[in-house]
Amino acid sequence: MVRREFLKVASTAVGAVALAPWVLEREAAAAAEVDAVKSAFAEAALTRAKVLGASYADIRINRYRSEAIVTRERQVQNVARNQDFGFGVRVLVNGTWGFAASSIVTADEVRRVTAVAVDIARANSMFQRKRVRLAPVEAAVANWKSAFDKDPFDVPLDDKIHFLLALNDTALKTSGVSFVNSSLRWVNEQRFLATSDGSRIEQYLIRGDPQFTVTAVSRETGDFQTRRSLSGPQARGYEYIEKFPWQAEATKAAEEAVEKLKAKSVEPGRYDLVIHPSNLWLTIHESAGHSTELDRALGWEADYAGTSFLTPDKAGKLRFGSSLVNIVADRVQPTGLATVAYDDDGVPAQRWYLVKDGIFVDWQTSRELASLIDRKKSYGCTNADSWRSVPFARMPNVSLEPGAQDTSLDDLVGGVEKGILIYGDGSWSIDQQRYNFQFGGQTFWEISNGKVAGMMRDVAYQSRSTDFWGACDGLGGRSTYELSGSFVDGKGEPGQVGVVSHGCPVARFRQINVLNTSVSMT
Amino acid sequence: MLLTEADARTITNKLLGYATADDVVVFIESEDYSHLRFAANTFLTSGRREGTTARVTAWIGKRRGAAATTDLSDAALKQAVADAQTFAKLAPVDVEYLPSLAQQSYKPGRGWVDATAQIDLPARARQISEAISRSEKANVIGAGFHQVGLLAHASATAHGNFHYERGSLVSLGMTARTPDAMGSGYFARNHYDVGQLDTGRVARESIRRASESRGGRMLPAGSYPVILEAQAVADLLDSGGMSFDARNADEGRSVFSLPGGATRVGTKLFDPRINILSDPWRPQLATFTASDDGVPAQAMHLVRNGVVESLRYSRYWAQQKNTQPSGPFALVLEPSTPGISVEEMIKTTKRALLVSRFFYIRTVDRRSASVTGLTRDGVWYIENGEIKYPVRNFRFNQSIVLMLGPGNVDAIGVPERVASSEGGTDPLLVPALRLNAFNFTSQSDAI
Repeated sequence: MVRREFLKVASTAVGAVALAPWVLEREAAAAAEVDAVKSAFAEAALTRAKVLGASYADIRINRYRSEAIVTRERQVQNVARNQDFGFGVRVLVNGTWGFAASSIVTADEVRRVTAVAVDIARANSMFQRKRVRLAPVEAAVANWKSAFDKDPFDVPLDDKIHFLLALNDTALKTSGVSFVNSSLRWVNEQRFLATSDGSRIEQYLIRGDPQFTVTAVSRETGDFQTRRSLSGPQARGYEYIEKFPWQAEATKAAEEAVEKLKAKSVEPGRYDLVIHPSNLWLTIHESAGHSTELDRALGWEADYAGTSFLTPDKAGKLRFGSSLVNIVADRVQPTGLATVAYDDDGVPAQRWYLVKDGIFVDWQTSRELASLIDRKKSYGCTNADSWRSVPFARMPNVSLEPGAQDTSLDDLVGGVEKGILIYGDGSWSIDQQRYNFQFGGQTFWEISNGKVAGMMRDVAYQSRSTDFWGACDGLGGRSTYELSGSFVDGKGEPGQVGVVSHGCPVARFRQINVLNTSVSMT
Repeated sequence: MLLTEADARTITNKLLGYATADDVVVFIESEDYSHLRFAANTFLTSGRREGTTARVTAWIGKRRGAAATTDLSDAALKQAVADAQTFAKLAPVDVEYLPSLAQQSYKPGRGWVDATAQIDLPARARQISEAISRSEKANVIGAGFHQVGLLAHASATAHGNFHYERGSLVSLGMTARTPDAMGSGYFARNHYDVGQLDTGRVARESIRRASESRGGRMLPAGSYPVILEAQAVADLLDSGGMSFDARNADEGRSVFSLPGGATRVGTKLFDPRINILSDPWRPQLATFTASDDGVPAQAMHLVRNGVVESLRYSRYWAQQKNTQPSGPFALVLEPSTPGISVEEMIKTTKRALLVSRFFYIRTVDRRSASVTGLTRDGVWYIENGEIKYPVRNFRFNQSIVLMLGPGNVDAIGVPERVASSEGGTDPLLVPALRLNAFNFTSQSDAI
């Protein structure tokens, strides 16, 4: 039903013109040309690095294809496709890292850039205090594709444009809607990693990020309210567009944006919160995802992203949350944005507990980090966002496990006298050690005596990570579990953008501090 | 190797020559970038990346398509043009299409210094090693980031415009922490001229702040008078919490919108001593002077003596409103009266908190340009002209517009070049500010 309506609206927007197949054929031809020689380039780099004195080396020859379509109301603002191709060589010389990268992928350039990486490592090694060690890893030879049914780069562009304009059209039908912005972004990573340990790994990943924002403006009062789409980016193919009820979501978003203009402004105070996965994923990301990064705990991110309240002595001891709280790191979860077969150290993807029965139990590690806490192996968290970026520790998918019972959202709401039900991620902020956070949302619903009452607005909840997770007294069952995530998780110097998913059920938290975020300009 | 003007012109001419579209804009960005990162008093990563990206935007019958490539071979450039044209054929009519620019006149930028491009590896390693040595001697743990970025930009259009510009940048930021994790200090500066970057000062200041912030007292949340150092002011103003975008204001979705469809242009919204400008030719800033599509920068007042004088216009919105497009933004906040130093501010303060840096700033209410975030790496309590003791960190929720409003700004410092500590390298020229009230909403345990 939804699909049929979509086609009807779409066909009136633009003519049905397919992307010329020869464009994709040429891309494939260019890729094949490089495929034929990249093993040779890899051998050249690794041999050159060894001759120049590197004790370890790796080379990543990566191609990134991205496509972005941006619209507002009934117009397309941009249609763009980018090809980003190059290589990066990482070496260890005298226990000191060196890295160099170039967009010119030729044998001569590979040899030159390898020498630059060695020169950098050698110059710095003269002043190095602590020599880098790497936890061992077995060599792997693999070829892997992420889980997707329909490669979005094979889907005609006009289908995608139709999809967005139909979304906008749907939202604009609701009286009171002033603006709609929507976008559709696809990324294809074609990664090749060769290491001096003997690994040769090829990976092909697809990720998509559809999103839209509806704005309702009241010219009379000067007020405006927005409602963003609740469903987040995923490592899925075009089936994500075809199977999710986007049009119904657009209608709902439009109605809720308009309703927000007249919603009751929240009275600040303590409330029981029932939080939907579309909001809770971001709280997991900030309070549990980043705090369990070992590089932060060791002070490596002190200058920018920050450190962590989970210092190295606290693993296995600190109570992170109530006994209901089980948080897993997972790089094998299907459709997870951080899901891979191997990380950029050549370590296989894994699943492990970070928080078990409410106790903080383990870290996210790379080969280098694992060696610093005397681990025999890495959990495989090394990643670089580009061929031009230095691989370093990035977050795996980090998710809250659902409760054992099949508890529903209504069940959790039923146990609340005075509370707020929250959907969608809004404003977010947390301190540099991951204690104090404040999160907004997209829609807020008053809960009174176990029932959802009317809409509220201007809500933000503020808490301390361990207080918040300690106040968790109810988890939804597997049927309430959803996966959301981020396409733009920033970390590191130079800054890199990570992609990561967080799954969770609906969950309840008792007596959390709620602020009113509205400010009068008069 | 950074592209020269001649190299860039060759590539833009090729791209334009390959195109058969009705209109084309091409943009080339060439980069030669290197970094050295350190933490826990040892080097972490260090690297260099070189690359060029060519971007093509084509219009066929006012339909727009774009493509980009990092491969500069003739075949790849032809493919990028063909892709952009293919996408243009598929796209609906771009109702905001404006013909690309004819030849513009550009006032030259001044943000390139050869010496910055010639920093050598051993010298940099030694310089950072010295910063670590200072940390070791002071018994603090140093973490920081040194980077050298060389950029060349070129844009060209089917209607005859061509612009080339290059810029250099060197920066060092450092965070020092006491071994007991009870004190933390930060300091960072960047410049296009390596001769103007005092790396020793960066190390000294971060170490001093770490030592002097150790053992902070927890004070109750609430509204406090504050002195915001220039770094903290830059963090707030670069956060995106207060956008001067004209279209958003006209569409009723900005702090500069008024009920009934009007805007706040002409309104006295800020303290009468406050001027907010865009001026990439200020010698302290010297940032790029053209946008990616070739629009020349304008030196313009946004706020003059507290009154909103203008907002910032894209090409399309400028045409709709019969005004000039604004080009790239280089933010300057300067007082109408002579500024005073932070030291003078402290001496003449009865009671206030001194804030050195903000962190994780996010917008919570665009209607009032309200943001939330936290203090970080040094807060001190001032009483009767003296710093009395360090204070633990706070979360704040604060409207930037009301913060700079009449009656809240008590004293304004001397503008200095600072980049946001939230990951930005674009410099701002901003002063320290003494404010009568700043809204701290909760305590943070973070140090």
